[in-house]
Amino acid sequence: MKGLALFAVAFTGALLLYATGDFPDWGSLDSPANGGELSTHYIKEVRKETEVPNIVTAVLADYRGFDTMFETVVVFVAGIAIIAVLRDFGNGSRGYPPALANNLPEEPDLIVTQTCNLVIPVLQIFALYVLAHGHHSPGGGFQGGVMLGASYILIALANGVEAAMKILSERKILLMAATGILIYSGTGLVCLLLGENFLDYHVLSRILPTDPIMARSHAMLFVETGVAFTVTAVMFSIYANLATRGTLKGGL
Amino acid sequence: MGEQAPIVIVLAPLFGALLIAFVGIRFKALCLPVTLGALSLSLAATVETFRTVLARGEFVYLLGGWKRLQEGDGISIGIEYRVDTISGLVLLVIAAVSLLVAIYSRTRVVADTPDRVPYYYMLYLLLVAGLAGMTITNDAFNLYVLLEISSLTSYALIAVGSRRAVLSAFNYVIMGTIGASFYLLGIGYLYIKTGVLNMQDIHAVIIANDLAESPSIRVASVLILMGVWIKMAFFPLHAWLPNAYSYSPTTTGALMAPLVTKVMIYIMIRMMVTVFGLDYSFRATPGMPLHWSNLVVTLSSIAIVAGSVMALSRRDLKKMLTYIIIAEVGYMVGGAWLANEKGMTGAVYHIVSDAFMTLCLFLAVGVIIARTGQSRIEGMNGLFKKMPLTMAAFTIGALSMIGLPPTCGFFSKWYLVGAGIEAGQWHYVGALLFSSLMNAVIFFRIFEMAYFPKEVNEAEPACFDPDAHPLETLEKTPSSMAIPLWISAVTLIVLGVFNYTIVQWIASALQSLNFFPAAG
Repeated sequence: MKGLALFAVAFTGALLLYATGDFPDWGSLDSPANGGELSTHYIKEVRKETEVPNIVTAVLADYRGFDTMFETVVVFVAGIAIIAVLRDFGNGSRGYPPALANNLPEEPDLIVTQTCNLVIPVLQIFALYVLAHGHHSPGGGFQGGVMLGASYILIALANGVEAAMKILSERKILLMAATGILIYSGTGLVCLLLGENFLDYHVLSRILPTDPIMARSHAMLFVETGVAFTVTAVMFSIYANLATRGTLKGGL
Repeated sequence: MGEQAPIVIVLAPLFGALLIAFVGIRFKALCLPVTLGALSLSLAATVETFRTVLARGEFVYLLGGWKRLQEGDGISIGIEYRVDTISGLVLLVIAAVSLLVAIYSRTRVVADTPDRVPYYYMLYLLLVAGLAGMTITNDAFNLYVLLEISSLTSYALIAVGSRRAVLSAFNYVIMGTIGASFYLLGIGYLYIKTGVLNMQDIHAVIIANDLAESPSIRVASVLILMGVWIKMAFFPLHAWLPNAYSYSPTTTGALMAPLVTKVMIYIMIRMMVTVFGLDYSFRATPGMPLHWSNLVVTLSSIAIVAGSVMALSRRDLKKMLTYIIIAEVGYMVGGAWLANEKGMTGAVYHIVSDAFMTLCLFLAVGVIIARTGQSRIEGMNGLFKKMPLTMAAFTIGALSMIGLPPTCGFFSKWYLVGAGIEAGQWHYVGALLFSSLMNAVIFFRIFEMAYFPKEVNEAEPACFDPDAHPLETLEKTPSSMAIPLWISAVTLIVLGVFNYTIVQWIASALQSLNFFPAAG
């Protein structure tokens, strides 16, 4: 059986190597992915069509915004799935082995908590910057959301999961994650209700004080904010459920 | 709705899931009505879309309103939905089956997962959104994103069941992730070589730049094929399926067994037909001793025989049905690769009929488990007397599985056998007939036991699976379970009677693709 597995791995690897020889040169300007009609259009027309300087953001949140909406739903599903499978609602229904003995010291460590108190506000402000600056530099909702989520995880690491859950309770987590999706898909739905196709942001100029092109740029910020909401909530939720084996008590 | 109907198909379940997240957690009684409402809206939108497709051919919907370049003739810069009669039929199946199973779930979800009802229905709705989105999209990468959603939700829907379900879900996670990775790698290779993601555009670039012979496109096609084969449980890549479907909660099995494998087969067909093109899929590769078409049809024959034999050896109803699914996957893969129009038509028609056959049998077995507390074949002793209506519906499903007229199982098998003869693939024809025979043996054994009860030897108590749930049994079949079961059973006959209409719809889509090689 091991031999068979080794053969399968070697065969697949050989197949991939065989294909690699056929690829265009790395970074070549003539390769279809770089110089093809599609990329050329994005590079040349992005300012004219969306007013967003960061091409990646425009492709991610507008041209292929529908993909990104469902990527956010993937994150949401991951959070829901972890809760559905792991969460122990207090009746031991899941029958998992009990959580590790509560190994938290009586008092949280002074140095750790004080350092975290210093780091967390900076981390959160930087996260908001990364979120808001996604139009101009690398960044956006996923990156900003991960940082925000990490700041809550840091609180949990320093003071215990229960202390962190006082700030962001389970109910709030779910509401926040769903709100993120709602902001994203709701932006699309408003476009639909205004008589255009789903996620066709330019029609938002009718309710925003901007022209249709700038409306696209603004709408991207809305949807990125939605992404950040969901990612933040789900990051923390997954950590809290995994660290406490679904009990949300004690833990790391 | 009109022009917006295609997007409503996918959005209705998505917003339904959000609504449950907002209100369903607190008011648990609202979860089921929200689910039913969202799925009904989705079904209405699907019907509307399908009617439009019948009236005017392909229905294209541009997400974000991004039009194709050069006044609609150039490449696509956004994501587009494109519905033809084939994807329309699969969408109808998804919408109808998910709505029926949602009705059926009324008592089951509370019994199987009492403390996580809202989460269950959220995952349920998102799984439906994922499956519908995979079917309707015309974008190879968008398909992958929706594939992720449907995979993640199905892992969770299986794992909320008994403890054995958790382990089988874990096996499924490993296999499913490998399958999805293969698909993604394949799409990545296609993008490197073509620079586009829209399915039509990929095909156009492959033709225009004469890339069909290039190694990376060939490897991409193999990777994509392997990915979807793992996901559809094509023998011998099937190992994850039997445990995952039989240990999962009743409604999960009833939702996933008819839909997930069928949607993956639809995607395989879409890849063969739209992305690579039939010329690429079916042409003999110069300098290669193997002919793809011959190879895959041989593999399907093996899958059919192996699935049937394994089904025969199972003593548990649910397990037996899961092995029958594996055999049925072989039917459809083989039909699609027979390289003639009849085979492709038969494969698509069989997607529709097999979805309803599987649904009917899974719903019936769900009722049997709810009433008797177990699913061993021995436990069916004298069931015709105890629950005649359920067993009648079970019989219709079984006859369709065997392939007796006037059920749709007969007609789809008829097209597949005809196509096999036309293509001269006698082993495939033989495997189909063998499988029918096996199904007959399997089901008549059950009928005999259920219709002519034997004296139960008290010294030999019926064997109970300690992990099987629910442990409590119902006195009476609730109408929320009986009605969907009967609708699915009647649908089998209706689909059989109207088989010609359905075949015409499928044929019209295949003709509009316009590059089908001359039959034979």
